[in-house]
Amino acid sequence: MSASTSHSVRASAGPVVWIAIIAVTCLLLFFFQKILWLVVPFLLALILYYFLYPPMQWLIHRGVGHDAAASVVTLVFLVLLAAVGIALAPWVTEHISAWHDTVTRYVDGGLKLLDSSLRSLEASWAPLARARLADTVAERIQHGGGNVAENLQPVAMAIAAWTPSLMLAPFLAFFFLKDGSRFKHFLGAAVPNAFFEKSLYLLHEVDQTSRAYFQGLIKLTILDTLTLAIGLWIMGMPGALALGTICAVLAWIPYVGSIAGGLLVVLVAATDFPGDPGMAYWSVALFVFVRLLDDFLYMPLTIGKSLELHPLITVLMIFVGGAVAGIPGLMLVLPVLGVVMVIGETIGVIVTDPRLMARHRQAKVLRRMAASRDL
Amino acid sequence: MLNPFRPQSASPRLDSLRRLSLFVSLTPSELRILDSLLHERQYQSDEIIFDAGDEGQAIYIVLDGDVLICRQGDPHGGRIATLTAGTFFGELALLDNAPRMAQARADTACTVAVFFRADFLGLLDTHARIASKIYRELARHVGARMREMAIAAEAFQHL
Repeated sequence: MSASTSHSVRASAGPVVWIAIIAVTCLLLFFFQKILWLVVPFLLALILYYFLYPPMQWLIHRGVGHDAAASVVTLVFLVLLAAVGIALAPWVTEHISAWHDTVTRYVDGGLKLLDSSLRSLEASWAPLARARLADTVAERIQHGGGNVAENLQPVAMAIAAWTPSLMLAPFLAFFFLKDGSRFKHFLGAAVPNAFFEKSLYLLHEVDQTSRAYFQGLIKLTILDTLTLAIGLWIMGMPGALALGTICAVLAWIPYVGSIAGGLLVVLVAATDFPGDPGMAYWSVALFVFVRLLDDFLYMPLTIGKSLELHPLITVLMIFVGGAVAGIPGLMLVLPVLGVVMVIGETIGVIVTDPRLMARHRQAKVLRRMAASRDL
Repeated sequence: MLNPFRPQSASPRLDSLRRLSLFVSLTPSELRILDSLLHERQYQSDEIIFDAGDEGQAIYIVLDGDVLICRQGDPHGGRIATLTAGTFFGELALLDNAPRMAQARADTACTVAVFFRADFLGLLDTHARIASKIYRELARHVGARMREMAIAAEAFQHL
């Protein structure tokens, strides 16, 4: 029932509405990159909210009050987070000094793989040898990339600066869980009578779509992590689980994130197995395999078509997001587009319904008359 | 204090809800849970609440004033029923999203509480006991309506 209605709602969004949706998305991205310290924890809180919502519902189903259930699930999550932090702390302090060397080693390994691949290409293809491609690329990287240590320092500083802001996420998620339904009432009260029933229904659809998307994303991340970790472990790659987790999280950025994850694993393979280029090629094969599994099995099972975005629009908007707001734009563009799309389509459906607009005008006249009756 | 999400401590509409046949078997605590899901709307006299043919998404409970149920666009000649405070309409929307059978408009300035099907379906997941009680009363109500219609049809045949 809801699917057919939702479909009819979506189908009625015309080109003007779509241009407005894309323009608003770009504007929001431009604005959001100025307040990233708030937007990123907000987005993480939203993911956390949808992650903690099922256990909260489970508690409510067993007779726990709504507010108490929200408090309990948030508290349990924080305790688990603290436990993981405490468990990992000794390992982190032990290895933190070695991380700098490790990153430098892996970047150098990747550069060596790139250099050897280009030289073998030059050896088998004369035009590339004449163009001295390997030397040119090496020179460019030397000049453009600078020292790895110089690049790492700002990254470390950024992580330190972001920590307090990220701590906002569980706090925000708690209030999403506790006051989410009241927020719906708060929004509903602002909608005129004529649009009320339709708006509330569409808001419910937004909530269902976002829930399906974020809960699907969490399941997809777990499936990707496990598949990659098992594949890398079978190949004999060190740190298979950590690599799988990083790549699965990177895959949250469609297309671009998967490529970045693949490059990371190739980098590790090239460094840890410098004499065995087969490992790097097997890593690429594994990534292609996981990508196919994602597209044909995991995604239909988890996220499905919750956002109902055309792949062409998805890819174009990722590049638009990158152009407007850099790396944050790449990460934020799809969730922002998803929200703007549903709100834009809702407004589009309402303002283009002549009957609803006529009822709203009639209600305004009646209200004006009632207000001035005894003047 | 500025707090738009502040829960209302004691809703005055609880008494009206308690008297409603649909919620008659709910305990006070269950009624409070139900009450937190309702949206309150105010309509001016003659304002349209819904049109015939609209997709039904919610049941409306009259808290104050009168509501007219009539044929679409004919409030005078096509009058079907006038509902007063303590009654409800649009109840079939709790079952499915079939189009509304008639138009509903405010006969006088009125206040109604709106209960969405989506929230009702949510209750089935979180508070199945409350939802099943409402379903039972709804089934009784629909059964009584069907009997009334059957008797009316029989009487019409005898004329």
